[in-house]
Amino acid sequence: MIGEIIESRTAEFVAESVRYDQVPAYGSFVRVSDGGLRVYGIVSGAYTGSLDGMSKAKAFFKSIQELKMEQPQIFELLRTEFSCVVVGYAQDGRYHPYYPPIHLSLHLPVEKADDDEVLAISQHLGFLEKTLNSPAGNGEELTAAAIRTAARFHPDPREYIVRVGRELLKMLNYDTQRLKSILERVDIS
Amino acid sequence: MKGTILRGSLSGGLEVRLDIGENIEEVKVGTFCVVEGRSQDFFSMVVDEDIEAANPKAFYETLSDNPLLNEVVRGTGIIDKVKIQPMIAIRREDGKVQPVKSIPSYLSRVREAREEDVFKIFGRPDRTHFHVGAPLDMDHIPVCVDLEKFIERSNGIFGKSGTGKTFYTRIMLCGMIKSGLCNVLVFDMHSEYGWEGEDEDKTRKKAKGLKQLFGSRVAIFTLDPESSRNRGVHPDFVVEIPYRSIEAEDIVMVREELNLNPTALEVIYVLQKHLGQDWLITFLNMDALAIEEFAENTGSHAGALQALQRKLFRLQKLPFIKENPADDAVERIMQYLDSGMNVVLEFGHQRSMLAYMLVANILTRRIHELYVKRSEKALGGMQGNNTPLVIVIEEAHKFLSPELSHQTIFGMIAREMRKYNVTLLVVDQRPSGIDPEVLSQLGTKIVALLTEEKDIESVLCGVNNARMLRNVLASLDTKQQAIIMGHAVPMPVVIKTRTYDETFYKEITRDEDGAFRRPMPGLKRTSGTGSIASNPDGEEPPPGKEFEDLMKELYGL
Repeated sequence: MIGEIIESRTAEFVAESVRYDQVPAYGSFVRVSDGGLRVYGIVSGAYTGSLDGMSKAKAFFKSIQELKMEQPQIFELLRTEFSCVVVGYAQDGRYHPYYPPIHLSLHLPVEKADDDEVLAISQHLGFLEKTLNSPAGNGEELTAAAIRTAARFHPDPREYIVRVGRELLKMLNYDTQRLKSILERVDIS
Repeated sequence: MKGTILRGSLSGGLEVRLDIGENIEEVKVGTFCVVEGRSQDFFSMVVDEDIEAANPKAFYETLSDNPLLNEVVRGTGIIDKVKIQPMIAIRREDGKVQPVKSIPSYLSRVREAREEDVFKIFGRPDRTHFHVGAPLDMDHIPVCVDLEKFIERSNGIFGKSGTGKTFYTRIMLCGMIKSGLCNVLVFDMHSEYGWEGEDEDKTRKKAKGLKQLFGSRVAIFTLDPESSRNRGVHPDFVVEIPYRSIEAEDIVMVREELNLNPTALEVIYVLQKHLGQDWLITFLNMDALAIEEFAENTGSHAGALQALQRKLFRLQKLPFIKENPADDAVERIMQYLDSGMNVVLEFGHQRSMLAYMLVANILTRRIHELYVKRSEKALGGMQGNNTPLVIVIEEAHKFLSPELSHQTIFGMIAREMRKYNVTLLVVDQRPSGIDPEVLSQLGTKIVALLTEEKDIESVLCGVNNARMLRNVLASLDTKQQAIIMGHAVPMPVVIKTRTYDETFYKEITRDEDGAFRRPMPGLKRTSGTGSIASNPDGEEPPPGKEFEDLMKELYGL
């Protein structure tokens, strides 16, 4: 488990990290099991702040090591939450690249998706549309991050990126300029 | 080539989007492809190609040195497009070939044409389907001409000088002779069909003529035995034309060659009327007094008569025109044709237009009469053998010019003689010089490169998709490429013609169906000098005679 859902909508959910300094990577794939459904999401952003949400953390101008030695209690007052866009769900062993019928319940545990799950989900290029239209407004950045993550799981990453690129181009209404800006953020080497 | 139908119309052709990864450089204009529609296959020809962008901005933005981006955009944002023209539709359920009356639905798959597709359209090579060449860039696939249809109508072989007309003619002649569907009579002006001809490819040996390939099925007649002998040819018969067989019409035909004015032509009719069948020799033998007397009696002008006589003296210089020839050439040709043989008439040194036209016209007129009779008899059930005859003439524009085509026998044959089983194969380099009415009656046209606008236009008159073919026609190679269109092929097709070489000889002389040994229908043995040496056993050598024997027979030398 890497987090617990604290806010849920059809298109996205927010989870609180188990530990304030352990957060899944931006653009990585996560899984939430809700009864018979396994809902998958892509991490679309994270936030770290004070536990109460009202007061702000204060700057000490010391290194993390020094702080941990001198003020260990301040770290206990921090919390991290991360948001995820929902990209699809699996039921009875079958993956559906669209929103689950019911949005996720609160307090469900969030887990990292397995490698082969990522491989299976990313075969369906439907996730691109979800990331591109991410409610956070950082669609291109998120899409690039998701492609980066997914490509690593494919035997021929370059071939996968070309395939994704072609699909993206159509979604972008053949705007090569936007495609270019996304692909430039997908450096595979 | 693989792709899908993008858009198109029946009149404007279809646009095909090439699949990602296909190389447009490998798709050539003029090649064939097949569109697999829902219920029909559309056999089509590539006519144009271009590059299109879904969003024109893409052209300018992918120039960056981002190979990944370029790879993504190629085939998606920027597509390679091929324009094709559907030519023939094949109904899939029963394989019926029909003209295109609809277009394939959107996203129909397009693929390269395969051998079986070409066979479905043009037929598999067999006795009546003659392999003439291969589609462009598909060297291994034979394209066939339906010989049964080919000989049904008059046909033409056109092309600029040096584009291989003679070779196409040879190939077609070989096909026709091999099939046994018809007999051919070749007026061989340059003596290149009978025994052997020059091959422009100097590395090869001389091109074999019909006699070398078909032996006893071809007889060589000659007007110039000496030239034949010098070339090592053993002619079967020496043709001589009696003066009495020359008619006014024949002289009209060669009026340009003899430089005759309209008055002279009128005088000729007067002469024929008063002097009868022997008018020419009688007239040529008249002295000044006799001419004046004749002028007085008939009311014609003595000066005109004398001028005409001077001009007609040129005929006396033609050695094959005799007062009393030993044998009747037409009768002999008919005998040969009747017995299923094919005749090549060599002109040797007599290759002036005057000789060629005169002889061709005289012989053809007689043959025409005989065939008309024969057809009538055949209709009445009195004649068993009524094998069609194909007459090959070169420099056809001389015979079929708009001024002459109504008067000469050739014009008549081109127009209506298919009813009587006689058709023409006209070989010419200036189709624009031929009467358009005759041109439009030609069934099948084999056209090599033509550059003159007028010639292209006249060849394409009466052809569908002429606009499209015009481009193709002007872009043909100068050698071994021709477009075949018309009656004997379901659609116009650009072919790389077969090479006339050892392989061709072997194939054409291979006796698959025993046609060579089979006695010809209606074969009858004739007695006398010109007896036909065909034998039902077929074991006899070709009937060519030694030159000396021939001279002895004919002249008692």
